[in-house]
Amino acid sequence: MTGRERFMPYVFLLPALALIVIFNLFPTIATLIESLHGNSLVRGGRVFVGLGNFNRVLNDPIFWKSMQVTGLFSVLVNTIQVVLALGLALLANSRVRGITVFRSIYLLPVAVSINVTTVVWGLMLNSEGGLINGMLSLVGIERQPFLIAPTHALWSIIVLATWKGVPLWTLFFLAGLQGIPQTVLEAARIDGAGRWQCFRFVTLPLLRGVLLFVLVADTVANFLLFAPVLLLTKGGPQLSTNLVMYETYRRGFVYGDLGVSSAMLSLMLLLVFAVIGVQFTLLRRRT
Amino acid sequence: MKQLVLAVSLLLLAVAPLAAQEATTITWLNCCNWPSEEVIAEFEAENPDINVEVETVGFNALFEQIQVRLGGGASDPDVLSVDVPVTAGYGLRGWLLPLDDVFSDEDRADWLPAALAAGTYNGELISAPVSTSTQLLFINSDMFEAAGIEVPGVDDRLTYEQVADIAEQLTQDTDGDGVTDQWGFSWEQTVRIYQLQPLAVGLGGQSIGDDGLTVDGVINSQAWIDGFTFYSNMFNESMVAPQDDTIGTSDLFWSGKMGMMIAGPWNINRYLREAENIEFNWTIARHPYFEDGEVTTPTGSWHIGVNINSDSPDEAKRFVQWISTGAGAEAWWRRGSGDFPAQQSVLALFQSDEEFDEGVKYFLRVAADEATVNPDPRAVSPGYLEYEQILQDAFQDIRTGADVEESLNLAVARIESEMAKYRG
Repeated sequence: MTGRERFMPYVFLLPALALIVIFNLFPTIATLIESLHGNSLVRGGRVFVGLGNFNRVLNDPIFWKSMQVTGLFSVLVNTIQVVLALGLALLANSRVRGITVFRSIYLLPVAVSINVTTVVWGLMLNSEGGLINGMLSLVGIERQPFLIAPTHALWSIIVLATWKGVPLWTLFFLAGLQGIPQTVLEAARIDGAGRWQCFRFVTLPLLRGVLLFVLVADTVANFLLFAPVLLLTKGGPQLSTNLVMYETYRRGFVYGDLGVSSAMLSLMLLLVFAVIGVQFTLLRRRT
Repeated sequence: MKQLVLAVSLLLLAVAPLAAQEATTITWLNCCNWPSEEVIAEFEAENPDINVEVETVGFNALFEQIQVRLGGGASDPDVLSVDVPVTAGYGLRGWLLPLDDVFSDEDRADWLPAALAAGTYNGELISAPVSTSTQLLFINSDMFEAAGIEVPGVDDRLTYEQVADIAEQLTQDTDGDGVTDQWGFSWEQTVRIYQLQPLAVGLGGQSIGDDGLTVDGVINSQAWIDGFTFYSNMFNESMVAPQDDTIGTSDLFWSGKMGMMIAGPWNINRYLREAENIEFNWTIARHPYFEDGEVTTPTGSWHIGVNINSDSPDEAKRFVQWISTGAGAEAWWRRGSGDFPAQQSVLALFQSDEEFDEGVKYFLRVAADEATVNPDPRAVSPGYLEYEQILQDAFQDIRTGADVEESLNLAVARIESEMAKYRG
């Protein structure tokens, strides 16, 4: 291999690397630096405060409350989305009449922006004149305070996020399913395996790579969910939808406390890495 | 060589006047889509060496933009609209240029004293008063008459108890589908302290502790609990006000679906713009009060300041001086925001100008007078942004059925936690 040939792959990688550095690495480092600074309310201007912002965040009950909400939200939404996406992928992979129409329809939410999705769902979930409450009252069910009761609001955000998220993850599972050689499944069937056994002992193990990717990507996407909370609930009612991303935004852009906001983001980043690490470990161990 | 020098000199002479004529451009970060073209054109005609580019954003976005841009040390915007109570916070952070050298004693004497005081931080004027405000009770007269209720006169002042009683009579499900489609009452800014403060202060409460930081024992005092129990009842018990704000109060009122709203006089200007689409009769009354309380009215509005990092501070100051005094202030009131001017000379026009003698415009004269009836300014605090936002959450919770005392106590805990950083 000549020197030029050895050099060429890096040249081709350069645009992608540049984008990663500009849009991922640089903001991350900037956030970490900002988290060590704060506004001096006595002297004015930006001063180095060391770990002061982290200390404030870790002793802040509102941060811990929003961590609780984020934890509950993540467990629920990720489980629901992965199970639903896998189920839909199995359905889309089957050979039943009309499946091509279904394959076209289920993907539609992917093409709708999260902001549009949020506004439309907000109108549908309206407690007074919303479509869903209209339908419920038609069948004799009492109107539900979807976005204004602490018992309902987080679930409403979960439903919205699931409607938006599931089709994309379904697509990945579908690709994974179609990559499984039919011969393996046929061999299992010849050996007497039923549908459930084929799924449990052949399909699922062969989907592990895709499952890992979907779990990680879904976890990250849901940790970063922001628009529905901003547009529909503003973290309420009674902080029941105050996800960490919204609290971070509120500290930075409403209260003007960029240092504390960056400290929250840095902690969030660590948490995401930790969760992903656990997911990797668990799935690898099973393999 | 001599020829070359001559040619260059001639070229410089030719270009110099062009350069001299080139106007300096300043940017004004402004709020709320107020029509500003005519006013800016007037300023530019008087000041041909300055171009003003207006960047207009929504109310909430304005605060975010200021936080991000001025907090990050950006040189633009050069000029920014400042909501009065955040002046202290911006002053504390050192974001605004002192304006003391810009205004004469005459200019200062013309501003409402409360507005001048609100724009001053540490003895320096940092945000010049542009407008002030008040609130009125807007009434759908047709709806009152249909329900057999006597329509109050423009100078009448109902009690909140009377408002609640009438609102119950007006609230209806007219088509019988189980959903209320005619509401009795609401506040225009349903969850903002600006409009809701009289509920507590009218019963003897305070907006914030005397140090501008303490809220424990203040916003969870009995006056606040009583005031906001009334507020909660309107949404949750008598259900005369909509819990959901998908359609804003003002839109509900002007579409004939709400009997009364407490709202700003800018709604009178809205009516004047949209009169042909509004098919019902309406009137105003004075701001309500509690039977056992005192009359108190919301006040305060917009100021204007100069970014401390502006590249064109002199031009920015000239613009700020123009729009906050004399002819500029009058132009901004008449052809810009329509908010009440903070200059006494301009405010006096409501009483002297014939155009306010009758009709809907007479309501503006009443409003100008109402602005002088025990106006209660919002909290003066370096942490006002946090204070307002957290209270907004509490009011939203109360509005949607949360326990009043619990919500106010939660707000106390959150605000006290945020204020700790200002205590030093």
